[in-house]
Amino acid sequence: MFKIYRNKRLLLLLVTQLWVGPVLAGMLHVRVVGPDAQPVPDVVVFVQQNGSANIDAGKPAAAIMDQRDKRFAPHILVVQKGAAVSFPNSDVIAHHVYSFSKLNRFILPLYKGTPPDAVVFQHDGIVTLGCNIHDGMLAYIVVVDTDVFAKTNDDGRVELAVDDSASSYEVSIWSPRIRDAEGHLVQTVSGDAPGEMTFALEKKLRPAHIDRLESVAWDEY
Amino acid sequence: MGRILIAVLALAGLPWSAMAADNTSGYEIRYGVEFGFLKTSGYPSWTTGFVGKLRYDNDGAVFNRAFVDYRGRFGDTINVHMVLEGYDDDLGNTIDFTEAYVEWRPMPKSATRYRVKVGAFYPRISLENVDPGWSNRYTQNSSAINTWVAEELRTIGAELTVSRRPESLGGAHAFSASVAAFVANDPAGSLLAWKGWSVHDRQSRFSDKLPLPPLPQIQPGMMFDDQNPYVEPFVEIDGRVGYYVNGEWRFGKKFLLRAMHYDNRADPRAEENGQYAWTTKFEHLGMQTTLPGDIGLIAQWMIGSTVMGPVMNGAHVVDTEYDAQFVLLTRAFKGHRVSARYDHFEITQNDSTEDDNNPEKGHAWTLNYQYSFSDRIGIAAEWLSIKTHRCSWEYYDIPTTATERQVQLTLKLRF
Repeated sequence: MFKIYRNKRLLLLLVTQLWVGPVLAGMLHVRVVGPDAQPVPDVVVFVQQNGSANIDAGKPAAAIMDQRDKRFAPHILVVQKGAAVSFPNSDVIAHHVYSFSKLNRFILPLYKGTPPDAVVFQHDGIVTLGCNIHDGMLAYIVVVDTDVFAKTNDDGRVELAVDDSASSYEVSIWSPRIRDAEGHLVQTVSGDAPGEMTFALEKKLRPAHIDRLESVAWDEY
Repeated sequence: MGRILIAVLALAGLPWSAMAADNTSGYEIRYGVEFGFLKTSGYPSWTTGFVGKLRYDNDGAVFNRAFVDYRGRFGDTINVHMVLEGYDDDLGNTIDFTEAYVEWRPMPKSATRYRVKVGAFYPRISLENVDPGWSNRYTQNSSAINTWVAEELRTIGAELTVSRRPESLGGAHAFSASVAAFVANDPAGSLLAWKGWSVHDRQSRFSDKLPLPPLPQIQPGMMFDDQNPYVEPFVEIDGRVGYYVNGEWRFGKKFLLRAMHYDNRADPRAEENGQYAWTTKFEHLGMQTTLPGDIGLIAQWMIGSTVMGPVMNGAHVVDTEYDAQFVLLTRAFKGHRVSARYDHFEITQNDSTEDDNNPEKGHAWTLNYQYSFSDRIGIAAEWLSIKTHRCSWEYYDIPTTATERQVQLTLKLRF
């Protein structure tokens, strides 16, 4: 049952990317593995396409950072620079969302439902979110200066549709779990042969974010 | 029951009047009612003024509690938290507050967070009582340590907490440190020394008068005959300020450790209105982790002393040390939860005062199963057995070692 579901999702991913991708699209396959050679899911992968003829990607896609059961959903959201992110609150209780990240600082006053204005992220970088009422709530918005981005699946893999006209691709990865030096997190490949690329992390990963029912309470009421 | 209902309704109405037009204000209210049936064996309960460790000593229907947990938010940074508890047991049919405080939560400007509480609140000890109304998430009756916290401890003062958000320390480590200064709460320790540890689900409210056993030394003409036959745990007697410091470290959702040093700095020779001040100090260590198979493990350890009266023969007239630990295992399955706890507790004494022999030693087993039909309705079944040896029971011509047991079926409603 589980396997079928996963295959479906993969198929969906492929279909979406084929459809969205520009005409001259190639596929870049990226795999992220930990020091134990185990796949690392939920890693942000984004690609700078150098010398691409299709620089104008249009308006960045809007995105949603939901709040459900006193948790942000998703835990990690990737958006393109300039994207508008809305913060609907699906809980019956109020939330008070903020970010103190240097370039993308904001506060949404205490609210229920969906705040009228989305937040537009004008600077690339990591935005760390919190809720001033529920100290345990934590999420990241990764703002990237490209429209080629995705997160690795449960197998630690992701496929990205890239523009064949680019001379080279600079591929970067990010996850709050990764402890490797920044130099290990960027790889450049020539535009001729995008093919497959593996990020083999050297340092042990930080524990995964757990978003399921747990036997003990970790957050104060 | 009538009075409880009226108070619940009154508190329900409060936020409406307190709500300003300012749309950044708001409130959350949780109501809870717990009642059921139980079968019990053991000595007459301490709630009747005797020595039984449990809250109930009669079989049949019981009304455990009704509570209202109110959290008001005023503007962006001010929270008000009040909890009203209604009981109908041997101590009467009354409602009163267990906690009432204002919390200031300034907006974090960096990964460092500041929180300030002012009012009356529980010190950061229990890892069991984490739900609205200080409800125990895992069992009906709390561990010996947290039962004592519920009986005799409340911080009436101010607490500052400084914490570092996890991502600032590499995504997983969160640290926090709290320091609190408090007044009142001077009689804390009376029940622990003179009654001993207990295991039950009753939280003392601000104006509760908790009965003491008929100890020889508090009888007319004896050394402590100024003592009323009851304890008012939250009164101020000596005008001194107590404090605690607490440190906490959390590693993801894998491990949590908290450590506290507590000292109420009470003057052991002070007495007022039939209540003595007891110098009560302890160290507390709490840890929580998730074992393989998603089994939650919680353990707490408290070790300390409580003394009262002048020094005679090298010790205070009542000079006791105490030590308690528990380990709780719990596993949640969709809607179901199974928990098991082992408590061990001990009191030793340094004084040799006659007719005031307070040492005790014992342990308790608690097994609990609960099922939630929905967010609003749950049932719980709990078996509890507590075995105690307590020297002072000889004064009442009863065996000084006894096992008390209780089986309880509880309906838990939340609104």
